This record gives sequence, structure tokens and C-alpha cells, in this order.
Amino acid sequence: MTKLLDKPFKAFTIYALIILLVSIPIYFLVVDWIWVTEIDDHHEMTMERIENRFKEAHLSGHDLEAILNSWNMLQPSSSIMPITENIARPDSIYEVTKYNEYELESDRFRGLQTVIEIDKKPYLLNIETNVEEAYETIFAIGLVTILLYGLLVFGFIQLNRRISKSAWKPFDNTLTKLKSFDLSLSKGVEFDETDIEEFTELNQAITRLIAENVNAYNQQKAFVANASHELQTPIALLKSKLDILFQDEKLSARQSELVNAIQIPLARLTRVNKNLLLLARIDNSKFSDSSEIDFLEKIEKSEELLQDYISERKLTYKKEITGIANVTCSLFLAETLVNNLLSNAIRHSPVSGEIIVRIGENEIAFLNSGVERLKEETLFKRFSISTTETTNSGLGLAIVKEICKQNGWEINYDFLDHFHIFSVRFSKF
Amino acid sequence: MKILVIEDEKELASDIVHYLSGENYRCETASDFATAKEKVSLYQYDCILLDLMLPGGDGFDILEHLRSQNKQDGVIIISAKDTLEDKIKGLNIGADDYLAKPFHHSELAARIHSVIRRKQFDPSNLIIQNEIKIDLLSKTVQIEGNPILLTKKEYDLLLFFIGNKNRVLSKSALAEHLSGDVADMFDSHDFVYAHVKNLKKKLNEQGYAGYLKTIYGTGYKWEI
Repeated sequence: MTKLLDKPFKAFTIYALIILLVSIPIYFLVVDWIWVTEIDDHHEMTMERIENRFKEAHLSGHDLEAILNSWNMLQPSSSIMPITENIARPDSIYEVTKYNEYELESDRFRGLQTVIEIDKKPYLLNIETNVEEAYETIFAIGLVTILLYGLLVFGFIQLNRRISKSAWKPFDNTLTKLKSFDLSLSKGVEFDETDIEEFTELNQAITRLIAENVNAYNQQKAFVANASHELQTPIALLKSKLDILFQDEKLSARQSELVNAIQIPLARLTRVNKNLLLLARIDNSKFSDSSEIDFLEKIEKSEELLQDYISERKLTYKKEITGIANVTCSLFLAETLVNNLLSNAIRHSPVSGEIIVRIGENEIAFLNSGVERLKEETLFKRFSISTTETTNSGLGLAIVKEICKQNGWEINYDFLDHFHIFSVRFSKF
Repeated sequence: MKILVIEDEKELASDIVHYLSGENYRCETASDFATAKEKVSLYQYDCILLDLMLPGGDGFDILEHLRSQNKQDGVIIISAKDTLEDKIKGLNIGADDYLAKPFHHSELAARIHSVIRRKQFDPSNLIIQNEIKIDLLSKTVQIEGNPILLTKKEYDLLLFFIGNKNRVLSKSALAEHLSGDVADMFDSHDFVYAHVKNLKKKLNEQGYAGYLKTIYGTGYKWEI
């Protein structure tokens, strides 16, 4: 994954590299052109000056010859040669590479050849200037360009860092808030003000989206709570009518069996409904009472209530106490947590299986024998029934999870040595 | 014995009346706040069954009204609200018991039995039924003067049966009575058989197993 800011950075860097590379020949051509033009102008000027000065000097034929001789001998960059025919030769500009005896290498020379008239006689004037070598120019320009490119990239990196720190800060803030957002807390998110238009729009859109979600979630919660609340009376009536029917002496054995059979799904309906109401109440944080709970005591109480079910399944039950688990929380929720976890362990143990309850420092764990690992992803979800057993409301562990969440405890499942392990770690407050 | 059933769900009220009618009880009903308040003000009852959510008012107000008049009628709250706070509030205001809906009528009958017994100010705290004598304080049982040793669960069952004499009691009602709330987490309540069997055996040793009848495929009945 690339970071958002690295993308334009990479593109910018590559673009700058291309432009700078292309700029090298362009710079060279421009520099060379200026150079050559300047030299040609200079030659032209020199030529005119020489011609005029000779004219103004009015030298005699003998003097002229002597001067020309010494001129040609001493002047390094120009020569004046007499020519016999007076042919109107045009000025010519040429470029030549020849050996430079002073620098011991071949050099490029720019020259001007023209015919001047001194004393009505034609002379061939030749002016030459050493011009910088093409590869030397390119090398110099290239060097400078690479240096500048280095500076440019360095600048990009620095700017990038600074921009990402300041300009993207609101975005990072938004991201942090979104990561910690929890729909089940039913609380919207408030973003910090930002002066960047895009982020303001983003924050507005997210705020609206979250508000809608929270609203839908609350409606759904209210619906479940209302529905289960409304179901209470019909369930109570059903149970009542069955009890009355049960007392009828004219009931045949077959009918009694049927009445008994109805009790079972009715019990399940009762439990599911009760659990849904309980979940709704926990969701709404209705359990605000808190007292110091000794979990060992609660486990012993629960164990007494469930003793009959433990012996009915011929389970071996033992407790391993290695520490004290005293936690401040709601009494009802603590009892519900322990009852749910212990009855869960009993229900899911095979006959003659084993249950171990561990009480450690700020931790309790319920172990029961089993065959294979359960699916962790769905284990604590509502109505994710892992067995075909009918009394399982599919809500027991969801309630456990919800209680842990409300109290900031940690619930974990593990499967080790043929034991399902459900452990609750209490956080210290 | 007079019982007032304050319950807005008429069907449920009539079922309660029907279930209790076999006993030595005379039942009256009130289905709204005003009627209920009027009745508790005018008359005295041995036990009042009080629903909390009533048309026209809150059941707690009736209880407060009753106690402010210094009336000592036994009160059992029967409510769909089964939070700990409601229970504590109810008991603090002066209810004698709190039973969450939905309940088995047998459970309600046993609770009424227990409340009335406590209200009778019987200093000996004895339940005597023919040859059987139960001392509620020491939780001991004697048959014709011979003590029989019962486990806690067998003792609870015996009281439950006596509070529901001549009624057919289902296995699930017995399991709920013994294990309370956790009972509905389980499908099978076979352990009830074992406890009843043991109780019956102990009664039989004294020659009085005849009261406790097994109704095939249905449950049990304490017959007098």
C-alpha cells in the first residue's frame, strides 16, 4: 500500500526528472547559439575595424607589406593575405576543429573569411576564435541540472512531510475517531473544525451517515425491546392456560403428553424472550448498580442452583482456586454472567464429561470437555446456534459478551486438550 | 381466606382464581388502579396479588397506600418487570414476595401459602397435615412423632406439594421451583424424578407414601 501523499510525490519526481533531462540539450542549443552568434558579431565588428583602420592609415606599399608580415606573424587569431584576383567573394563563416598546440588537444574554432580592400588591392582577412567544445558545455549543464534535481527532490520530500503534518491533520483526526467509533454505544461522532473544504465535506458526510446509522440501530433496538415486551403477556397467558388445562381430570394420557410436549417449546420461547429483554436492558445500560462482587461466592451459589443438572449428566465438577476475583459491578449482571457460563458448560458437556472452574487473580475461566474447536467468529453472536439442542436460546453467550463489554472485561474462547475454555479477564479499575 | 387478585389481564386473573378456587380461598379481582385502591382501602385480605403495570396507575402506589394505612395484608407482587431494582423496591415498600411473570400457578400457590402462613402469627411455626408435622423454624419433619431426615431439596418439594394439594404438578414446575431461574436453560429435568423418588421412599418408610401420587406421563400430585 502506498500512502496518499507518496503518489503525487512519485509523479512529481519523475516529471521533474524528464523535464530536467530534456532541458539539458535545450540549454546546450541555446547557450551554443548565443555563443556562436556573439562570436560572429564580434568577428564582423573586428573585420570592419581592421578595414577602416587600414584605410585611415594611408600606408605606403612597402610599409603595408612590412606591417602585414608582422601582423600575420604576431596576431594569433587573424591573418590578412593578399590575393591576386579581385573576385567578389562573399563573406564566409565556417567552423573547424584543429589541433591547438597550446592546449595539446583538438579544439573547435569559429572563423570569418572575407575580402577587404586596402589601397585598392584585395586582401583575404581571416579571423578565428576558439569556441567551447560541445561535450564540455553539455557536461557543465548536465552537472548543474543534476545538482538542481537533487535540490528539487530534497525540497519535495521536506514539503511533503510538512504538508502531510499540517494539511492532513484533520483527515488523521477523522480517521482516528472513525476507528474508535462503536455503533452499539449509540453515540454520534463529533469532528474538529477544519479550514479545508474537502475535509469539512467529508466530515459532514460521515456525521450524517453515522447519525442515520445510530438512528437505525436505535430503532432496531427499540423494536426488539418493544416486541419482546409485548410478547410477555401472551406468553404468561399461554403458560397459565396450560397449567389450568393440566389440572383437568378428564385429560387422557395422550392429551397430558401433548400438554407436556407444549411446555418444552414454551419454555424456550420464554427464555428467548427473557434474554432479548435482558439484552435490550444491558444495551441501554440499565444496570447501574454496583457493589463489590466476590466471584467465588457467586460461582458457589450458581453451582448449588445447577447441582442437579451437573449430577443428572454425571459430570465431574471441580474448582481450581489460585487467586481472588473480587470486582465491583452490578450484582445481577455478575450472577447472570456466572449462571450463563456455568450452564453453558453443563449443557455442552458430554454425559460423564468434566467441568473445571478456575478462579484466578482477576480472572475466571470455565472449562468443559468437548470434541472439537467451536467457530469463534460466530460464537458470541446472537442466535448463532452451534448445536441442535432446543433449549439453547442462542443468546446466552451474546449476553455474556454484552455484560463483559459493558464492564470493560475481556472474554475469550479457546480449545485446549479436549477442553472448551471460556475465560473472563476483569480489568482493574 | 380472602385473596385479592389485582391484574389487568382478565384472562390471567380468572386463571389464577380458577387455580386457587379448590383451596380454602375466596378470591376477588380488580383490573384497574381505581378499583384496586378502593378495594384495599375498604376491605382486609389475607393475601393481595399485585400487578405493577395497571391501567390508571402504578402498582407500587397501591402498596404504598396500603402500608401507609398500617394494613398488614400479605402482598405478592406479580409482574413482568423482573429487574433486581423493581424487586428490591417492591420488597422495601413492604411486599412479602415478588414473582416474575410468566410463572406456574403452582409456584404462585406455594408462595401464597407461605405468605399467609407467616402472617398468621403462629408462634410455633408449624404446618400440620394429618400425621405430618413440619417445623418451619428448624426445618424438620415428623410423621406421627417420628422424625424423618430430608435433604434440603426434598424438604422444599414437600412444602411445595403441601402448598398445592390435590393439584397436578408438572416436572417443569417442580424443576423451576427447585432451581429457580436457571431451570429454563435446560431441556431435561430428570433430576426431579430422583428427588421425588427419594422423598417418596422416606415417606414410605413411615408408611405414608400414599399422599404422593405419580401421574403417568404428566407429573405428581399430593392427594388428600
